[in-house]
Amino acid sequence: MITIPYLTAVSTYFSYGLLFAFGQLRDYSRRIFDWWSTNNLHGYAPICLAHEDFYIRRLYHRIQDCFGRPISSAPDAWVDVVERFSNDNNKTLKRTTKSTRCLNLGSYNYLGFGSYDEYCTPLVIDSLKKFSPSTCSSRVDAGTTSVHAELEECVAKYVGKPAAIVTGMGYATNSAIIPVLIGKVCFCCYLSCGDVTPKTYVLQGGLIISDSLNHTSIVNGARGSGATIRVFQHNTPAHLERVLKEQIAEGQPRTHRPWKKIMVVVEGIYSMEGEICQLPEIVSICKKYKAYVYLDEAHSIGAIGKTGRGVCELLGVDTADVDIMMGTFTKSFGSCGGYIAGSKDLIQYLKYQCPAHLYATSISTPSAQQIISAVKVILGEDGSNRGAQKLARIRENSNFFRAELQKMGFEVLGDNDSPVMPIMLYNPAKIPAFSRECLRENVAVVVVGFPATPLLLARARICISASHSREDLIKALQVISKAGDLTGIKYFPAAPKKQEEVKDTIKLD
Amino acid sequence: MYVRALPTTDVNRNTEWFTYPGVWTTYIIIIFFSWLLVLSVFHCSPGMAWTIVHLAHFTVTYHSFHWKKGTPFGDDQGIYNRLTWWEQIDNGKQLTRNRKFLTVVPIVLYLIASHTTDYQHPMLFLNTLAVFVMVVMKFPHMHKVRIFGINGDQ
Repeated sequence: MITIPYLTAVSTYFSYGLLFAFGQLRDYSRRIFDWWSTNNLHGYAPICLAHEDFYIRRLYHRIQDCFGRPISSAPDAWVDVVERFSNDNNKTLKRTTKSTRCLNLGSYNYLGFGSYDEYCTPLVIDSLKKFSPSTCSSRVDAGTTSVHAELEECVAKYVGKPAAIVTGMGYATNSAIIPVLIGKVCFCCYLSCGDVTPKTYVLQGGLIISDSLNHTSIVNGARGSGATIRVFQHNTPAHLERVLKEQIAEGQPRTHRPWKKIMVVVEGIYSMEGEICQLPEIVSICKKYKAYVYLDEAHSIGAIGKTGRGVCELLGVDTADVDIMMGTFTKSFGSCGGYIAGSKDLIQYLKYQCPAHLYATSISTPSAQQIISAVKVILGEDGSNRGAQKLARIRENSNFFRAELQKMGFEVLGDNDSPVMPIMLYNPAKIPAFSRECLRENVAVVVVGFPATPLLLARARICISASHSREDLIKALQVISKAGDLTGIKYFPAAPKKQEEVKDTIKLD
Repeated sequence: MYVRALPTTDVNRNTEWFTYPGVWTTYIIIIFFSWLLVLSVFHCSPGMAWTIVHLAHFTVTYHSFHWKKGTPFGDDQGIYNRLTWWEQIDNGKQLTRNRKFLTVVPIVLYLIASHTTDYQHPMLFLNTLAVFVMVVMKFPHMHKVRIFGINGDQ
């Protein structure tokens, strides 16, 4: 639930209106100018449609220096940000050879595995020397090593499911797996008792019900699957129940036949809101209406829960109730790739059907080794308690930072315990102002605007890591407070500081 | 004074901003301030200024709501490329509150413009033509209709 001051909403709409109006004027003058000048591209088709490019050309390019900043060191708590300059008003940016050491509040480095780790890195280097950086093959050809098999077992055990399948890229996990699980046409293979030959039935009609703020990879996978998609209001189980009831009662769009498969897709932590999904209610609703649950734990695996097992552990949901658990290794494990964990039959089916498994190159072996070692550290199987310390530290850091920001009067989204905290900016001019002011003070933050977020709700997203020390966080708070005062984003009244008790020194004679 | 922004179920980022609080007020404030601007720049009578605002409003909204198709960003892979902004609003559902508001505003502007010019020609003719076209374009029956192929797809 986002609370906006009314004046800020009105001024934000007005600012965007002004920016769009100026963009249109510039486009018109550019078109007139180009009509007069000659060009030698007669007969060529345009590369992209003019209006599709409008936002990028006229709004994004103006503040391009706040996005895509290159770094030249490992994404640890402190990172080297390469300095860039522009001679043509941010249309093109040129890198210099200098870099500044900045406090890193933008990397998803939740448990601090993003840089040299005393247990993981030597094992990864050994694996690199033994297996080479790439397997140069897909999993079914020659790309499965012993490390891959160990990784899948390790992940399945960690997440709490019977089996798992691992792919080389987190985004591709969602967009390649969802079309295999559900579609306009669902295949179903039955083995009738006493009969050896399996009968394959082709059933029409899959339905995907996804949260309105799901990640683009899920949206792409859902659109690519061909199934009907319905959206429910973000994190509102009551609305999910209403949508499910309506859809089951209405049936498929034109024929009104019953749906053959219904899948509800939710995320563990929503990366733009920092909110934790209301999993127990959603799972109970899905059980009631017999829908499958697909849980995308990209940001929550390894970061929340007592042993880092994600949102199921945090909210006390039995993993057997969630049918498909998906996650990525890019956030808490410091590696790359994604996984799907489920029942043995499901994973077997995916291994036969999923294109990411059959045709895409398998995950690089040293990265797989990094994941295995990271999981061992988290569970304490490397002989030390560094894992438990990291988990405790990220929880402490997140709660401390969020509480301090809220005391200063910022509007911070997200639940307690979540390491993702977006600070609301709203006005489009505050996006580059906040970002550049923080960079000037050597703090690197990530700002997000339209169209990744709704138009009105631009924000600066802070990701806390277990490798941030208390001094780092205090410095970050000071810088953010100063930048916040300059840009005027302290929308709530600050909590009053505790006054020191002044003793009454009036003596009564 | 704070308002709550409830998350919407509209996945189309191009039209979702219209469901948040404060849009209607901003729209009305922009129209009012443009009237003041026209008055101060052209030194004309208030009625003439309202006529100018009405016709400018007609041009701007015709272009942005009913002529431009698609979305200004490429993230949605062009699934709305054949729909104008008016057809994309509220997922194509007709007669919602937003659509009714956007239909009423040009009519109110027309009434103010004609009243303040004392129903004189030629302003009355221009205003009437503008409001007629504007309101007809917003009828539910005109959803996805392209007359004579104007603004149709290539």
